[in-house]
Amino acid sequence: MYRSRLLDSLDWPTIAATCGLVAIGIFSIASATSGNWQAGIWRTQVVWFALASIAAIVIVVVDYRVWAELALVMHGVVLVLLGFVLFFGRSVGGNQSWLVIGPARLQPSELAKWTTCLVLAVYLARRVRGTLGLRQLVEMAILAGAPLALIGMQPDMGTALTFVPIILAAVIIGGVRWKWIVAALIVGMLLVPVTWPRLKGYQKERILTVFDPGRDPTGVGYQVRQSHIAIGSGGVTGKGLFKGTQNRLNFLPAQHTDFVLAVFAEEFGFIGVASVLGLFYALFRRGITAARSAQDRLGTYICLLVGSWILGQMVINVGVVLGRLPTIGVPLPFVSYGGSSLIAALCGIALIVNVRSRRFVN
Amino acid sequence: MDYRERWELKDYLIGRRLDRRILTLHVMLGLALFGFVVNFWYLQGVHGEEYKVLAENNRMRRVTMSPTRGVIFDRDNLVLASTRPSLTLWMTREDKHDKLPQLERLVPILDIPLEELQARLEKMRGRPLFEQFMLKEDVSLDELAHIEARRERFPSISVRETARRHYPDGPVIAHAVGYVAQVSEAQLANSEDLSAGDIVGKSGVERAYDDSLRGLRGWQLVSVNSLGRQIGDARIEREPDHGDQIRLTLDMEMQRALYDGFGTEAGGGIFVDVKSGAVLALVSTPSFDPNLFADGFTQEKWKAIIEDPRRPLHDRAIASFYAPGSTFKVVMAIAGLEAGAVTPEHTVFCNGGKSFYGRRRLCWKRGGHGWVDMRKALAESCNIYFYELGQELGIDAIHKYGDMLGLGKMTGIPLSGEERGILPSQDWKRQALREIWYPGDTISVAIGQGFLAATPAQLAVMMASVASGEKPRAPSLVQGLNAPAERLPVSERTLEIVRAALKRAVDRGTGREATLGQFSVSGKTGTAQVSSTSAGVDSNDLPKAQRDHAWFVGYAPAEDPTVAFAVVVEHGGHGGSMAAPIVRQVLERYFNTEPPAPAGGEPADEDLNKPQEESGDVSIATSR
Repeated sequence: MYRSRLLDSLDWPTIAATCGLVAIGIFSIASATSGNWQAGIWRTQVVWFALASIAAIVIVVVDYRVWAELALVMHGVVLVLLGFVLFFGRSVGGNQSWLVIGPARLQPSELAKWTTCLVLAVYLARRVRGTLGLRQLVEMAILAGAPLALIGMQPDMGTALTFVPIILAAVIIGGVRWKWIVAALIVGMLLVPVTWPRLKGYQKERILTVFDPGRDPTGVGYQVRQSHIAIGSGGVTGKGLFKGTQNRLNFLPAQHTDFVLAVFAEEFGFIGVASVLGLFYALFRRGITAARSAQDRLGTYICLLVGSWILGQMVINVGVVLGRLPTIGVPLPFVSYGGSSLIAALCGIALIVNVRSRRFVN
Repeated sequence: MDYRERWELKDYLIGRRLDRRILTLHVMLGLALFGFVVNFWYLQGVHGEEYKVLAENNRMRRVTMSPTRGVIFDRDNLVLASTRPSLTLWMTREDKHDKLPQLERLVPILDIPLEELQARLEKMRGRPLFEQFMLKEDVSLDELAHIEARRERFPSISVRETARRHYPDGPVIAHAVGYVAQVSEAQLANSEDLSAGDIVGKSGVERAYDDSLRGLRGWQLVSVNSLGRQIGDARIEREPDHGDQIRLTLDMEMQRALYDGFGTEAGGGIFVDVKSGAVLALVSTPSFDPNLFADGFTQEKWKAIIEDPRRPLHDRAIASFYAPGSTFKVVMAIAGLEAGAVTPEHTVFCNGGKSFYGRRRLCWKRGGHGWVDMRKALAESCNIYFYELGQELGIDAIHKYGDMLGLGKMTGIPLSGEERGILPSQDWKRQALREIWYPGDTISVAIGQGFLAATPAQLAVMMASVASGEKPRAPSLVQGLNAPAERLPVSERTLEIVRAALKRAVDRGTGREATLGQFSVSGKTGTAQVSSTSAGVDSNDLPKAQRDHAWFVGYAPAEDPTVAFAVVVEHGGHGGSMAAPIVRQVLERYFNTEPPAPAGGEPADEDLNKPQEESGDVSIATSR
């Protein structure tokens, strides 16, 4: 009778919001690629969704506390994989981040987000009382910093950046004195003049374009400009599904991956975009609810960290699409094309559902 | 211990502290989401309409549809210029087929070296891949047949049809009809109707009537993707308005006869209808092939034409001016009789030379003409008679009648580049040379030398005027209404005397070669001095570049003139020997006395090249 109890206690609103986002993604991918050689790629995304769902079900069925026991081991395996792709991985778009297993290509960096959330939650639950001390900060930095460093070496700055919300959330949840935050800010600012000359030319351009969108309209600025045209031309109500011209004529770069929201914005207008943002916000609210109702601190931390990861990644992606952040390759969770990203995000949501469904002390 | 019990349950205190921290996360996310919503509203709600326009511009491209240029006919509806389809060979660059073997197979067919094809293909690197590579313009059907026969061996080759201006008789009509080419930057700046890449007339009729020939371009809207590749069907916004046909006054048979008549000589000639001013033939040699400009004109070909010392692009019929020589005696005769300086019966004794203002002037006839009156002086071109007449008249009276007959000003022929020549006067010299007029200057002008200069067009118009007794009429090239004639303010008696003398000049005098059995010609030969060394020396003994230019002007038939002409052969020596035979060949076509000679056929007349004993003038060059 355990199985039926699990079904009863499942967080259906969360599952519905997630599936809604994935459906929006599949339609947008279909629309974005219908005009070019990648037409039909949405079917691949459906297959990935099926695979991701299986993984999610497995994760929901097994108690999150079991996953917590395995967290460090899994984290270690992912780190090994990250090290492996660094030497033997397939390079796509200059990033050595792909692991080829038969017909499938996997990005271990996406899985690393999931394991990082888990190990940080375990660490917070086990080791932290009150506020974080320096020793704890360092240990957490090692746990989260190891995958981040390996990913940064690929170099996949976009994915590395998505670790920032996770780490930030962990520090906030763990509790940290304000002086540490101020100190971190000062150190960060001091690092700017050291880091800036080390950046590559295109990276500098992307950052400068955020402050000066008119800069280099055919180069780096082109992407943001085309994104704005696609979004803006959607108006309030949008042009209708498969009616967007900017993405279908390939004016929009990366239209089915990182800029998929611009495609959706063109076809469904402000109303559509507001709905997507609303779904994400709903997910966050469900995550907080799950965190509050969790029967132990571990569950609370898992929900908050996973929620911060997914929402943080969403904020980075939307920031890029709007030109508020430098153009870096960060997919919109659930929506953007890509198997690894979808699997990782669904597995994250599965953890929240898992915690939520086991909120009652048995 | 059960895995579930290893984890600490939350206590109240942790719960409260946690709520604060969750609130921090919540606020951070809320701020970001609020910012996003505002930003999306700004883009979609506030500026949505503007971005819609931008999106349309992104997507739709206006492609011009070129109108077909109007056909140009001669007076008998023979095609002088038409637009014909032309086949261009292209190579698709984005397919998967190997390019090199295909290029290698093309080498023997197109007769283009492999290195050149490869070099041109290499130049396309960096251009969008869907842009095709042009292998050859205007391929022949023969070349195409070789490719089509083995189509499977040329998978990347495609053929496209374009419109191309075609002149069936290229060099023959080059200066009259002109040529077309892509519009220049300067023309673009001056016209609102033109856009880059338009084909416009650059000279001749093509230029003069460009507005009606060109037509009006239409355009269509095509959807393009981000690479500019067309997708879907085009939507025609405006059909092109094709150019008008133009029927010229030119007579292709006369035109060809005139062109052939020049042979390898340089010069210009023009035949006009006496009654209407319609141009029947207009030729300048050496000529060029206007078809070359329609082709992908290579830099080398262009340089070859521009740098040719014989200046083939220059229209010698309207834009070159030469001393009119003895042909100017027509003006002198009219001026003398009309101004009352001489009576027709007034005689002058010519003994071959006479001093004027301290300089000895010669008649071309060493022994002299003896007693000459106006008729004989004009018919036999006695210099001494006209020297004295010039002395009597003075330059300003000469200027008055020259001006009346159209010299020193443009004829108004609707072709660009016309020159006005020089009809000197006291005022002219003061202004142009800042010198006073010396009486000696008049003596030179009296026999058509000195400062005088006229174009063939001017002299043809002048002769038409003499023939009809009407004021000079602007030559026209297009069939149409003509302005009503105005009488020349010259007495009929004067004109009769001049006309009779011009008839005699041809029948027995300097223009004998133009005489034909069935019809008679009135005219006057002339010699434009090139250098002072030519004085008194038989032109044919001089090197070509120092020989004088030969004129023959006149009209026919003598009794009831319908056609007037002026022909100049550069360095032709004697007007009678070089220019007159050319005129005769054209008049043969005009009067249709002979079936058309096969193209390239030599006009048969054994003594054409024999020097004439009575040709032109000899005078010592005038000093300024």
